[in-house]
Amino acid sequence: MIKKNSLSFRIIKRVLTFTTLMFLLVLSLFYYFARNSIEESARENAIHIADNAVAKIEQELQPMEKIPEVVAGLMEIDPPHEDSLFLLVETILEKNQNVSGAAIAFEPNFFPDKGLYYSPYAYRDGDRIHSFSLGDENYEYFYMDWYLIPKMLDTAYWTEPYYDEGGGEMLMSTYSVPFYMRRDGERVFAGIATVDVSLDWLTETVAEIEIFETGYAFMLSRNGVAVTYPRREFIMNESLFSMAAERDSELLREIGQDMIAGNSQFREHGMNDTGRFWIYYTPLPSSGWSIGVVYPDAEMFAALRSITTLMIILVLGGLIVLTILTVQIVNRISAPLSQFSNSARLVAEGNFDVKLPKIRKTLELRELHDAFSHMQEELAEYVVNLKETTAAKEKIESELRIAREIQLAMIPHSFPPYPDLPQVDLYAVLRSAREVGGDLYDFFVVDQDKFVFAIGDVSGKGVPASLFMAVTRTLLRTIADKEQSPSKIMAALNKSLSFNNESNMFVTFFLGVMNLKTGQLSYVNAGHNPPVLISKTKETKMFEPAKTIPLGLYEEFEYPEHSMTLEPGDKLFSYTDGVTEAENVRDDLFDEDRMLKVLEENKDKSPKDLINVMMHAIEAHVQDHPQSDDITMMTVSFKGLDHGNTQNKADE
Amino acid sequence: MRKIILFACTVLSAGLLTTRASEPLVFSPHWMPQAQFAGFYVAQDQGFYKEAGVDVEIIHPSPTVSSVDFLERGTADVITQFLMTALTASNEGLDLVNIGQLSQHSAILFASKKSSGIETIEDFEGKKVGVWRGGFREVPMAMLMDQGVDVNWVSVLWSVNLFLEDGVDLMTMMWYNEYNQLYLSGLDRDEVNTFFVADYGFDVPEDGIYTLASTRDEREKELRAFVEASIRGWDYASENQDYTVSLIVDMMRQANIPANKAHQRWMLKRILDLQAPGEKEVRKTELHPDDYQMAVEILKEREIIERILPYEEFFQPVCSFNE
Repeated sequence: MIKKNSLSFRIIKRVLTFTTLMFLLVLSLFYYFARNSIEESARENAIHIADNAVAKIEQELQPMEKIPEVVAGLMEIDPPHEDSLFLLVETILEKNQNVSGAAIAFEPNFFPDKGLYYSPYAYRDGDRIHSFSLGDENYEYFYMDWYLIPKMLDTAYWTEPYYDEGGGEMLMSTYSVPFYMRRDGERVFAGIATVDVSLDWLTETVAEIEIFETGYAFMLSRNGVAVTYPRREFIMNESLFSMAAERDSELLREIGQDMIAGNSQFREHGMNDTGRFWIYYTPLPSSGWSIGVVYPDAEMFAALRSITTLMIILVLGGLIVLTILTVQIVNRISAPLSQFSNSARLVAEGNFDVKLPKIRKTLELRELHDAFSHMQEELAEYVVNLKETTAAKEKIESELRIAREIQLAMIPHSFPPYPDLPQVDLYAVLRSAREVGGDLYDFFVVDQDKFVFAIGDVSGKGVPASLFMAVTRTLLRTIADKEQSPSKIMAALNKSLSFNNESNMFVTFFLGVMNLKTGQLSYVNAGHNPPVLISKTKETKMFEPAKTIPLGLYEEFEYPEHSMTLEPGDKLFSYTDGVTEAENVRDDLFDEDRMLKVLEENKDKSPKDLINVMMHAIEAHVQDHPQSDDITMMTVSFKGLDHGNTQNKADE
Repeated sequence: MRKIILFACTVLSAGLLTTRASEPLVFSPHWMPQAQFAGFYVAQDQGFYKEAGVDVEIIHPSPTVSSVDFLERGTADVITQFLMTALTASNEGLDLVNIGQLSQHSAILFASKKSSGIETIEDFEGKKVGVWRGGFREVPMAMLMDQGVDVNWVSVLWSVNLFLEDGVDLMTMMWYNEYNQLYLSGLDRDEVNTFFVADYGFDVPEDGIYTLASTRDEREKELRAFVEASIRGWDYASENQDYTVSLIVDMMRQANIPANKAHQRWMLKRILDLQAPGEKEVRKTELHPDDYQMAVEILKEREIIERILPYEEFFQPVCSFNE
């Protein structure tokens, strides 16, 4: 079973559609042109047959027409005595075997001594010829068509065919010519000269015409009556119009009208009892009758139909063979493909040694095979590498985890840090962007009343930064044990950090020393973000930006010291650039303004709450964007001397 | 040359030679076999006459011997005839009576080709008009006289060829016969203008059943059976037109008369139309006194008859049908 989306199905569908369309096109064109050419040759053949018949009939009829015409001329120019006219008509019959009767019929009472009717008439009785004067009260010829019509029309006239007197079998027609004579010097209409002609030879001529098996020829009179017709009972009984009426066929009626109008045409005849027909018709010039030649469509196009049928059968057979061959070829090509897909599935499951299908012939498939086996080898190698790398990475990661723990252990992280020092409250947070970071904060108390706190940010990130941070933090504690002034601490710290600093790392650093008794704050800012002073009574305000370079760059750099006095309740918020430069997806920074706004709105909160609020605000700003830099915040709150004194007194 | 096929009293009844208990009733229609007389042939073919207890023999007239001649000579006991012809014969002394009127309307019309431009009666003036040589010409002639139109009458027999060949401008025709022959000669109905005499106050009924007054009295019972069975034949013909048309065409072909179903079908339908009373208040087989009066007056005016037989003497029905 071929699946609908399979390659074979799609190829077969396209190939078959195209081929079928091509065959249809070729077949239609062939049929169309062959049909036209058959129609054309049938038309030519029909015209030839009909014209031949017409010529043959006219050849017989035209000499007949001469006889009464000559008689009419004779009567006008030099009329014989009326009594010798019998001899004349008898002679006409004697000399013309095809004439079965002849008459010279006169107007009523034309010769007073001859009475009302005078019409010398000769006819055949077997081999003998008789003559008598036609006309009596039972045969008033003046009112007959053969007499009256040429008289009224003053022209020669072939009568409608009729059966011979006595209802005999002989079909006749009369040719009548009006003639004139001189009477008292005037040319007057005198009568009608006629010949009677048997139409038997004519009907034979037409009936002899054979067209295929069922085709035929027929002849109509001027009234459309069947003079000859393949169905004997139709002859002289039916007209094309009575047939049309019984069959309710407008087309047949129209053909009849066109025929008796004297037109010639080859056209479709429409459907008959026995099928579709074609007809050619043409008039007989003498009598105005019309000959029709009927071609049965089925026989006319029989050869074409059988050839077409044979072609269709061959084409269908060809299409079937084509389908089978295509299926076979496509299957032979596509079978390895499904084997390849099985192999690919196995490879995906980790089985790199899977066997590939063998390809011998098809170039493209051989290329696919080579590529596939190359991929297999590469994958195997890659996986080995990957295993090694992963193991190494895991080792590093575990070391980094340990390093992080060590680093975090280096900075104080228990809050509140000094429950016995009520003058100061503090809270700090360090969130590294990586396993280990370069930010640091620290605080400690020296000499009972001096509270030292610091925040810094090492250039760079990761392990080097964290090592540099550890060094900075260790040096700070060591130096702060000996020196008390912030500027001196900073100078010493800078000197130590700059010494042999070949990696050119540096650290921005803010160091403050707060006198817990007086609230006096001395500080040095080495290129760090200026902290913010949050005062109960004054506006929340950022320190002046640092005008000095970070630590670790120049050994002999002097760091100026500044000081100020904190009011009880004042808070100092310090931070690293990870806060102000926290980015969201659209690269918007959290920035100082947002930070200041949060601080201002939450100025009454405790250091811990303030930092938590700030952290939430940062998270709300950043949302899902990964953290790119360490975030460190520290808030120191000076509770005041009174508070401290009271506490001290209580301690005492 | 003699185009008319001669019939020497063609006897169509099959029972002629069989032995009979009583004398047969010999019937002759007034023309050769055609659908105009369908009811009689159907009654014979279906055995209606036999069922009615009357032995009917059907004979036909010829161009030289009419049905009236048959009646006069005693060759036929009962005939059909055109009212005008019967009145003329009666006037000439034949003691015939109408025992049942079949047709209630005139079928006569004037036809002109549309191409001739003759659209109204006034257009007839001075035109050549073909008219039957014998018999049926009185009514159309009376009508044109009544309309005050003077035309050139051209006598013809029964052929429409002179008209088709444009030898005349107009021709009198029977609706059920010649008029349809035009159509069956290829002339479309819309190519022909018609002027029915009935539309100009000359709706004179036509075919009726006649017998001699003496026969009517002597064989009244048989005649009643004949008329009743004939009417039954007409009713059957009306309901079985395909059968009737086939019967007629077969009869005509046996008699060597050119025939086709298309024409006989038309004729049968039109004859049935003419038998229907239409707007006239007349019963089946009744000759209305007004129609009788109209007919005799036309003949009298044209000096074809001299005396007018009283209606009751002329029309002596043998049965009465109540519609």
